[in-house]
Amino acid sequence: MDEFGSQWMQQWQKCVNGDAVMKNVGRYFDENVLLDFGEDQAYVVQFRGGCVDRIVDKAGPEDRYAFALRAPKSSWQKFVQRVPPPMYNDIWAMAHPLHGRLKIEGDVQVVWQNLRAFTWALALMRDVAH
Amino acid sequence: MARIEPIIGRYVHVDYAGKDYRIYYEETGQGIPLVCLHTAGTDGREWRHQLCDPDINKNFRVVALDLPRHGKSIPPDGWWKEGEEYKLTAKFYSEFVIAFCRALGLEKPVIMGSSMGGNICLHLALNYSDDLRALIAIEACEYSPGWWLSWLHHPHVHGGEVCATSVFGLMAPQSPDEYRWETWWYYSQGGPGIFKGDLYFYSVDHDFRGKCESIKGKIPTYFITGEYDFACTPEMTKDTAAKVKNSEVIIMKDNGHFPMSENPENFKEYLMPVLAKIRAKA
Repeated sequence: MDEFGSQWMQQWQKCVNGDAVMKNVGRYFDENVLLDFGEDQAYVVQFRGGCVDRIVDKAGPEDRYAFALRAPKSSWQKFVQRVPPPMYNDIWAMAHPLHGRLKIEGDVQVVWQNLRAFTWALALMRDVAH
Repeated sequence: MARIEPIIGRYVHVDYAGKDYRIYYEETGQGIPLVCLHTAGTDGREWRHQLCDPDINKNFRVVALDLPRHGKSIPPDGWWKEGEEYKLTAKFYSEFVIAFCRALGLEKPVIMGSSMGGNICLHLALNYSDDLRALIAIEACEYSPGWWLSWLHHPHVHGGEVCATSVFGLMAPQSPDEYRWETWWYYSQGGPGIFKGDLYFYSVDHDFRGKCESIKGKIPTYFITGEYDFACTPEMTKDTAAKVKNSEVIIMKDNGHFPMSENPENFKEYLMPVLAKIRAKA
């Protein structure tokens, strides 16, 4: 399975939507998020009530999103390891000005408002990879 | 038989700059005073494992205080009339730690602090070496920018959730979930703006660049940093320690920014040799 490909993303969607904690902590997480994995792999992920409602492959001019996470594929590959290496275990670790291994763009207030649910959902990517 | 921990909690009144501070502290053991400083926005509960460890408290009087405005240490009278947001400064922090030690009559204590408690050790080394026995500076470096963020105290963001989640990635994935989420829990309970105000010290007022070389090295400073600390990386600690006389650097594998609370067993492996060295010099 192509890591960060469409099939991989669908697997992640299943993990998120089957996760009881996500339904609890993500109850009010209703935002569209762009995830850019580099190498022309980017998706708009629609979160609704703690579930991934829809994943838009090849986002076009009509796809709205509140914020975007952009990092090279090599960074994401480290992030999704079962035991990620230091500085790659967390999006804030990767995005911190000291490190700059991931960029957060757009309405950053929405990121901070939903940080718990969003980081929980991203951590579930480790269940897809393994 | 009930399992009762040896920790005793008390309050001491500390006079500082004409104000009365009612300070909560917990302690165990007897021997060399070992004063433990919590990280930003939390309180002395972070040190519960070390307080309860007989290998530590049989030779040390372990004391963990809640700084003013943290945990059970209420803010000084009139805090609600303050016209400026809370900002911890190096001057207040270092002077208050010394005032607390004097109020308890602690003779030549060891100061052990993590994160902002580690960074303040540099100020204590520079200005209060005569009053102290040794410093254990955990997750410490001369400059740790990037954390004084408005989102940590903002009406559109849940303070408890965001403060706690913002630090979660500072912990190592190898640390037990139980203890990582316990640390998250402590972080979710700080007063409004207290974590952010502490980070003013951590990322702004604590700019020790160019000052490390002035520490005379009369007492030893032991730097201990976890490999997963992205706020103060092992490289940042090593770079600082290289400039501090009479210092040692210890890098912890499989541990992060909150070793005492996120992975106390792993932390103990690195701490015990340091405590043995301090005892040997006593």
